[in-house]
Amino acid sequence: MDFPSSLRPTLFTTGPLGLSDVPDLSFMSSWRDLLTLPEYQPQNSENGAPDLAKDLVWEPVTPGPLPLLRPAPDPWDPGLTAQDLLFRGGYRYRKQPRVVLDVTEQLSRFLWDHGEIAFAPLGKLMLENFKLEGARSRSKKKTVISVKTLFKNLGGHQPWGCPWAYITRRQRRFSVLGGPILGKSVANLLAELLREELAAQWERLLLDEACTGGALAWVPGRTPQAGQLVYPGGGTLDTLCFQEVKLTPDGNLEVPGCPGRIHLRGPVRQVATSTVQGEAMLAVRADYHCAVWKVRKPGQQPALLQVLQVEKGATGISLSPHLPGELAVCSRSGAVCLWTPEDGLQQVYRDPDTLVFRDPSPWRWADFTAHPRVLTVGDRTGVKMVDTQGPPGCGLLLFRGGAEASCQKGERILLTQYLGQSSPESLPPTLHLICTQFSLYLVDERLPLVPMLKWNHGLPSPPLLAQLLPPPRPGCPQPLLLAGQGGQLQLLPITGEGPRWWEAWGEMGGAGLASATCPSSGGAASSPRLAGPPQALPCRTDSLSAFPLLEPKSQWQLEERLKAPTIGELRQGSKLGGGAGGLWWESSPPPCRPCRAWSFPSPGLATAIPPSASTPGLVLFQLTAAGDIFYQDLRLQADSSVCRDAGPPGDPGPPGDPRPDCPAPTVSWTPQDTACCSQWLKVLLEVPPDPPVWVAPTFSHRQQLGHVELEKRGGKVPEALREAMAKGQLLLQRDLGPLPTAEPPPAPESVPEDELSERLGEAWEGRGAAWWEQRQGRTSDARKQLKRPKRRTQLSSTFSSLSGRLDVLDATSPPHSPEQTSAKSRPRPPATPPSQDLGADVWAPGIPPERRKTLQDYMAKLPLHTDTPACTATPPIQATPSQQHDFQNHVTKLPLQRDSPGHPATILSQASSIRTTPSQQHTPVPSGAQPQRKKPRMGF
Amino acid sequence: MSDFSEELARPMTKDDQVKMSVLSGTGMHFPWLQSYVETVVIGGKKKKDFAQTTSACLNFIQEALLKHQWQRAAEYMHSYFQTLEDSDGYKRHAAPEIIWKLGSEILFYHPKSNVETFNTFADRMKNIGVMNYLKISLQHALYLLHHGMLEDANRNLSQAETWRYGEKSSSQEVLINLVQAYKGLLQYYNWSTKKKELSKFDKEDYAYGTATRSMVNRSWKTSVNLGALIKIPGVWDPFVKSYIEMLEFYGDQDAAREVLTNYAYDEKFPSNPNAHIYLYNFLKRKKAPRAKLLSVLKILYRIVPSHKLMLEFHTLLRKSEKEEHHKLALEVVFGVLDFAGCTKNITAWTYLSKYLRQTLMGNHLVWVQEQWNSRKNWWPSFHFSYYWAKRDWKDDTALACEKAFVAGILLGKGCRYFQYISKQDHEVLRKKIKQMKKSVKKYSIVNPGL
Repeated sequence: MDFPSSLRPTLFTTGPLGLSDVPDLSFMSSWRDLLTLPEYQPQNSENGAPDLAKDLVWEPVTPGPLPLLRPAPDPWDPGLTAQDLLFRGGYRYRKQPRVVLDVTEQLSRFLWDHGEIAFAPLGKLMLENFKLEGARSRSKKKTVISVKTLFKNLGGHQPWGCPWAYITRRQRRFSVLGGPILGKSVANLLAELLREELAAQWERLLLDEACTGGALAWVPGRTPQAGQLVYPGGGTLDTLCFQEVKLTPDGNLEVPGCPGRIHLRGPVRQVATSTVQGEAMLAVRADYHCAVWKVRKPGQQPALLQVLQVEKGATGISLSPHLPGELAVCSRSGAVCLWTPEDGLQQVYRDPDTLVFRDPSPWRWADFTAHPRVLTVGDRTGVKMVDTQGPPGCGLLLFRGGAEASCQKGERILLTQYLGQSSPESLPPTLHLICTQFSLYLVDERLPLVPMLKWNHGLPSPPLLAQLLPPPRPGCPQPLLLAGQGGQLQLLPITGEGPRWWEAWGEMGGAGLASATCPSSGGAASSPRLAGPPQALPCRTDSLSAFPLLEPKSQWQLEERLKAPTIGELRQGSKLGGGAGGLWWESSPPPCRPCRAWSFPSPGLATAIPPSASTPGLVLFQLTAAGDIFYQDLRLQADSSVCRDAGPPGDPGPPGDPRPDCPAPTVSWTPQDTACCSQWLKVLLEVPPDPPVWVAPTFSHRQQLGHVELEKRGGKVPEALREAMAKGQLLLQRDLGPLPTAEPPPAPESVPEDELSERLGEAWEGRGAAWWEQRQGRTSDARKQLKRPKRRTQLSSTFSSLSGRLDVLDATSPPHSPEQTSAKSRPRPPATPPSQDLGADVWAPGIPPERRKTLQDYMAKLPLHTDTPACTATPPIQATPSQQHDFQNHVTKLPLQRDSPGHPATILSQASSIRTTPSQQHTPVPSGAQPQRKKPRMGF
Repeated sequence: MSDFSEELARPMTKDDQVKMSVLSGTGMHFPWLQSYVETVVIGGKKKKDFAQTTSACLNFIQEALLKHQWQRAAEYMHSYFQTLEDSDGYKRHAAPEIIWKLGSEILFYHPKSNVETFNTFADRMKNIGVMNYLKISLQHALYLLHHGMLEDANRNLSQAETWRYGEKSSSQEVLINLVQAYKGLLQYYNWSTKKKELSKFDKEDYAYGTATRSMVNRSWKTSVNLGALIKIPGVWDPFVKSYIEMLEFYGDQDAAREVLTNYAYDEKFPSNPNAHIYLYNFLKRKKAPRAKLLSVLKILYRIVPSHKLMLEFHTLLRKSEKEEHHKLALEVVFGVLDFAGCTKNITAWTYLSKYLRQTLMGNHLVWVQEQWNSRKNWWPSFHFSYYWAKRDWKDDTALACEKAFVAGILLGKGCRYFQYISKQDHEVLRKKIKQMKKSVKKYSIVNPGL
């Protein structure tokens, strides 16, 4: 563990992220490292084939990765996309597009699909206060709408998928009237929740941190060429699968037998393995559980050692590379624990706040260091080294998101990883990899805060998986594999060997320059550096050409499948074959579902390119979120060690050639590859795609079905109702046939005869108001108490017999004109809010039957719960029923508005402005006498 | 490959950056946000054809670079120069740096490129975006240096050194310092060559005198060049090293000591282990008193307890007369063996076994117990497991013997490691193992009474 005797010059500034005015000394390109650390001295330039000329190129054997196992049987849903979440359209004149969550559309969808959830509580409220008569006034026509007509309008016109295609004036009025009430309850609660949820979904789309670290792991088998892939499978990734994989001597992959499986209770997010002192341990992290297994014998299913429940949710798990069975677990609460199955948990660190500056993310990560008792604790802002034996809470910052590492504004740590396990020949076991969305840093724990290497990876997706591989040959740089969630792979050759030129000068000291001519392979440790330009490896979409041409739908399905995010990456390496110097390692991408072992001869590469014993090879496994495992064969380019100036073969080409210098233009699909892909595709397309189930929007007829079924009363009406509800249709009179005689609706008890005299007496004494209050309270209380039990039992009958009862009424009294209705309406205290504390209003017997019918039709659509006073309540304001619908109108109207100046902020504010003026809206209606002139809102 | 335009948009308020302010106040930036947004029409001005082709071209170049297709990248680069005429002022401003980064990368790796091509490119680029003059000059000089063209590199740096543009900003100042320091390094190199030649001369010779004079001259210039930079907080190992060497050569011990002390102990500097190592080596060369050396190493011990100098520290402490130093010596050698990279360090194990014996013979059982207490729950599985016993015996019997002795002392003779090793039959080591058994019986801390 030599410390580099001379470090690369670096400016050291302290300060926050994105501190400008400081020259970032990492401004140079990938050859910067070569320059600042050239490997040869001027003296031996003529005799030395400089090391840096080793342009290590890993040449893919196939143009893209191939599927290893048959596709998972469960159909895969790619989940929400940006299209689902983002507001479309917007200001045309805005220079840059602006990300705005489309809450309104989602809300309207939600209301449309789950009306019962959205409107049931409101319906319950309104039932008590339903009143249909409007005020007798000039402006009545503007403020009062007939619910019946409204229903007519709505009923005949429900274009699926586009509920707001056409809106009548009536509906608009309805929306104006209903806005304040509906907007309040639904938009307040629901929209807020929905917005939160959408924001969370969007954040998850931007960065899904759950699978940080990777969910594909490698458990070594008896021989270096065999082992087990461990990955989560099953539709919900809740099955841990153990698939044996063998590498045949000719370089082919064999997949014998079916995978072993262990069913777990939650989706697996991370799988980690580590072999310490010959013992292979397996750690698994689910959302709220962590578990550790021990592989007793290679090839056997592992034995569970312990399961840990993490109440706040686990965010990371790491296995110690030093002590068998020791783990570091961290949770969302900010706690980091050292965990050994024998001794249990030991809390090492706990801080709900982030390390460097305030960041809301609860993501934490812990890993080990070169000292077995020191852990790194990381969050989005920094990484700290914490001594588990020291006093709690203290530690030394290893990395700070700030000017020390020339971090950009908005840069956050996405992954930290200890690179010591691989016990490399060239890199010291004190290095830590820190990945942000922009760059990767290598930090030596002996020199905190100053990154030894910074590289701008430029991956178009979050790099959540990284793996340092052993050097393919002694003395070669170690490849560092970096995988983005989107499937991009980068290989960075990293070396820490060889004296730099100034080091040589320094070392010569008094000895003079002659000593500088000593071979640079003196082995002096130097700070890690890039040994060459990074290399991009083929990603899964590059394999599209291996699949047969498909019809667009299937093609799209295939593309989607191949594009499934990679959620985890793991490295496992071992030498292939005795002395062959080959490399066999795997990276585990996203967890895939277990596939039935599908043993196919690995795509005949052996015949195409027989791996020569001297060519190190590499097999890269990828696991996608859809549960597929892909693999990619790579070979180290045979002549890559040749001095670069000689030119890699095939590099120079005619300028016109589109791929003149592609290192291996000969790489193409073999018939076996394409056959394998076709076979895989066949299985994939056999899987019935998940049919998008569209459910007709209903007002909780399902819930009501339950209620209706509870009521065992037979009869035609309930049955018909049930049927109608199941179909999502209205129950019409003609469906019912002759009316059953129903008991009359529970009417309010008659008030004692002497009420008038009593009242007059009281009023005479000046207590008229008090008496009225008292009376109001008494009657309503009494009535409530009286009716409640009855109501409960009658509830379902209320539903089922509603229409029947109405028809009775219908039969007895001819339709009345609205004037009549309003004439009979009771005066009400003007400012009563439409809430439960109003108490039940007296049932107004004077409501015209035709209006009652519509009212009850309307109410029949509302989910009523047992304690809902269904038909005894009079709606407080006539507008209320319409408000219910209005909300939909209101919501549905919003998208229309977007065309013009629409971004949700304005829409929401409009909505809220409606909400915040309820009194203005409904005072005129209940008072019935003094209708206020309403100003048109929202442009109507 | 980095998306340069993003990187350059340091305060990322410009064009391509999509506003995220509406969402979650995390303040995090997502480079991939743009691609998500592009899949949805969310308004904003449509990109002009020019901008589209330019950004597509940039993507192609980056892709080609990542696939090591230098020729292809060079062809695209040819088209990418149009970005210099971008009507968007910000992009036009950022363009030279992007072009320099990509272009230099291509020319560095392209099989057909040579120094002349690179020179031409660099000279052009220096004057296209004046703001990058210093950076490009510096990299150009390094490139030349790398190709052994020291004279050219020096000339380049000299030009850059005198370059000024507008108000001298602090970033410019740092860059100029850096340029000067590299120039100083080159001068140091010359000086070093001269010194070597000088050693061939006879001291009485006339030539010796002139050579010395010119050397003095050079070193003075160099010290000016190097001195400015190493006062700025940072890691300046190569510069400090060469500066010290020159100062030492001319006998300016005090200045050298001051520079090194500053470099090591200035709080504004990162805690660079090398600073302490340089200071220690300097003091050692100057035959500083042991107390002084110990104090330097003590600080290094706090920073890097695993450094190889710790073994030297251990021996120094052992030689000290103070009892507390003897105690520290034990702590230091235990500390070295705590680290994963040092587990097979036979010197450390030998030191530990010898010193354990010595300490126990000196009746300092408490010291050993103190050290052991914090390690007894993990050293057995970390060092003395059955697995390691087998492995160590197979790989390195000498190491195994030392470890077995330590295991026996610390864990008693029932320890598996000790048992495994002591049962081995080895021609050469038989006597040693026997002795080991005896000492363990005598000194093991597990049963001090027996």
